[in-house]
Amino acid sequence: MAGSDCSCAECASDECLVEIRGLVKRYGSRKAIDGVDLTVQQGEVLGLLGPNGAGKSTTMAVLSTLTSFDAGTISLCGLRLPRDAARVKRLLGIVPQELALYPSLSGTQNLSFFGRIYGLRGRALSERIARVLEIVGLSNRARDPVRSYSGGMQRRLNMAASLLHRPRIVLLDEPMVGVDPQSRNLLLEHIERMRAECHTMIYTTHNMDEAARLCDRVAIMDGGRILAVDTTAELLKLLGSGVIHLACSGQESMAAPLAELESVRSLDTSDGVLRIRVSDTQAALLEITRLCHERSATIHSLEALEPNLESVFLHLTGKSLRD
Amino acid sequence: MWLQIKALAIKELQIFIRDPAAVLLVFLLPLGFVVLMSYALAEPFAEQRSRQIHLPVVDLDGGPLASKLLAELDQMEAIAVERRFQGQDLNRKSLEHLIAEGDRSIGLVLPAGLSRALRSRAGDPIAVELVSDPALGDQVVEPLLGTIRGLCERLSFQAFTPDRVDSLFERFGGSMPAIALDGIRNKVRTDVLTSLQTPSPVRLMRVAPASMQHVVRPDAFQQNVPGYTLFGIFWIVVLLAESVLREKRDGTFRRLLAAPLSRGVLLAGKLLPYYLVNLIQIALMLAAGRLIFGLDLGSSPGGLVLVGLAASASATGLGVLVAALVRTEAQARNLTILLLLTLAALGGCFVPRFIMPQAMQSAGLATPHAWALDAFQDILVRGQGVVEILPELGALMAFAAVFFLLGVWRFRFD
Repeated sequence: MAGSDCSCAECASDECLVEIRGLVKRYGSRKAIDGVDLTVQQGEVLGLLGPNGAGKSTTMAVLSTLTSFDAGTISLCGLRLPRDAARVKRLLGIVPQELALYPSLSGTQNLSFFGRIYGLRGRALSERIARVLEIVGLSNRARDPVRSYSGGMQRRLNMAASLLHRPRIVLLDEPMVGVDPQSRNLLLEHIERMRAECHTMIYTTHNMDEAARLCDRVAIMDGGRILAVDTTAELLKLLGSGVIHLACSGQESMAAPLAELESVRSLDTSDGVLRIRVSDTQAALLEITRLCHERSATIHSLEALEPNLESVFLHLTGKSLRD
Repeated sequence: MWLQIKALAIKELQIFIRDPAAVLLVFLLPLGFVVLMSYALAEPFAEQRSRQIHLPVVDLDGGPLASKLLAELDQMEAIAVERRFQGQDLNRKSLEHLIAEGDRSIGLVLPAGLSRALRSRAGDPIAVELVSDPALGDQVVEPLLGTIRGLCERLSFQAFTPDRVDSLFERFGGSMPAIALDGIRNKVRTDVLTSLQTPSPVRLMRVAPASMQHVVRPDAFQQNVPGYTLFGIFWIVVLLAESVLREKRDGTFRRLLAAPLSRGVLLAGKLLPYYLVNLIQIALMLAAGRLIFGLDLGSSPGGLVLVGLAASASATGLGVLVAALVRTEAQARNLTILLLLTLAALGGCFVPRFIMPQAMQSAGLATPHAWALDAFQDILVRGQGVVEILPELGALMAFAAVFFLLGVWRFRFD
């Protein structure tokens, strides 16, 4: 299932490392996670795409064993949560949203500390520190205090700290938050390299470009639920060749004639807007404006959405990813 | 588990020694206070030598020599004799009450028969009592004792010699031949010289009011070295609280909780270095007291170690409690500083508790500082050992346990 080009035995195993069924997490009466089902294969990168409050970070917190859950089952590498939490922790690498580092310590001291917490000692620890510093390109700054690093360098070290103990699954929770564009590209390259090295990853983001670039499959989340999960290409097919959003006078009476237009495949109404999936965007725009003119309907807004993950999300939820 | 605690502790110490403000706060601030306050308060600790002594007196004799003694004392610039206090005649009981309440530090009781004893210089010496606060320094009491003793001797001779001469002349009559007068002169000389070799007719005694226990009080360094050491070790509370809040804010606690690490190990690794820093603080401050100020550390090093361990435990325990209760770094710094200053002041770290009003002295017992300071001073000042300080050690460990248990109960890692 892995989307990397790697052909190692592990990637070829198609082992399901993460299996989540009917996951529910409540805070009081509010459901932060509402019946989530997900699977992640060995070597696969799964993206959790959604706006703030969609339930991505809560899902990550549950998988990290930091938060309990109210219903459902979670299996990680064949181990069950919460029963096997202590063993699961050794298999996970967590890249938190925050820069969870000690700024007054050097990069090496930070990594040495986190490595020891995971039981690494002596030469094994030194070798792993050198290796992860090399992976994230910080070998030449390893002895400097972390507070002297740029934001991007701190993010890279934040990631390095999660890789020291060779985790089987890496959880990356919005790792690009607050990163400048140049550092962001560097970080994306590092994650792509990890992907090529068969790391199994779950990656939360509200950035569709990151999701499209890094993830083998993307799960679109909103309101604690998974709305769709598939490869980016399959998700884009949900839109046909495009989607047109129309708001006009006499909207209710326009739905039937619009549905009969040749380039229109289907339509529905959401939040006072007609969402029209079309087979040919250019032709559909002409047909729609002509129909409105003929019926003397005043067009308040007419928007053609390009088929990308942002518009898929907008199509599925009626909301922008940045909402 | 131990390796993880060790890793956490080393990390915490590395962060600590990279924070110059924290090192300054913990080590140099209390030492600076010791030097400054010890010299600043040297005079008050020397019992205000230059001030006039108010001397309440009870004259149970009522004779002319006792009155003369008091009149001569009252004429001295340094002494103000008080026969009445706030309009009331003094008696033995009210005089002791004045001293026990701290209204006066010393008083004089002249016994019945004093005048007769001074005049006759016969029989056992009569006791003149100087009733004083046990805390009053010898530098005040001894000169006063000497003055009274000298006056008694002078008054005794002034009265005794003419009396003796008169009695001799009465005995041998007025019509004596010259040779007989020489005999009388020789006899008077012999009698007076002999009486000069007799013991003083008065015996001056320093006594404490019945309600006051006799205790040895510390000098400035015996007060300030342990006092400011304790003041210093409790600053660990601020550092610990800030460190915990920083870990929460930066997400390092969450990262560690996602690691194969129990919360107990995480907390133990967090606290251990602060506990060690406290022990180092105490060792350094006592060493500085010994080497710089010549402080006598007593004869119970084991007792000092136990007080250090118990006091550090209560400081670290309070650190856990405060870290569990504060929500922001501003709270950790400002409110905690206020708390620490209050506890230290109440516990007698700045000003000895024995010069505070009784109510404040009692309130001080609600602080670990007071118990720790008492324990230190039992060893440093009174030469006591482990057995004698067991009550203080018990109180300190109780403080530590209550602080720690409450802190752990309220502690949140995220």
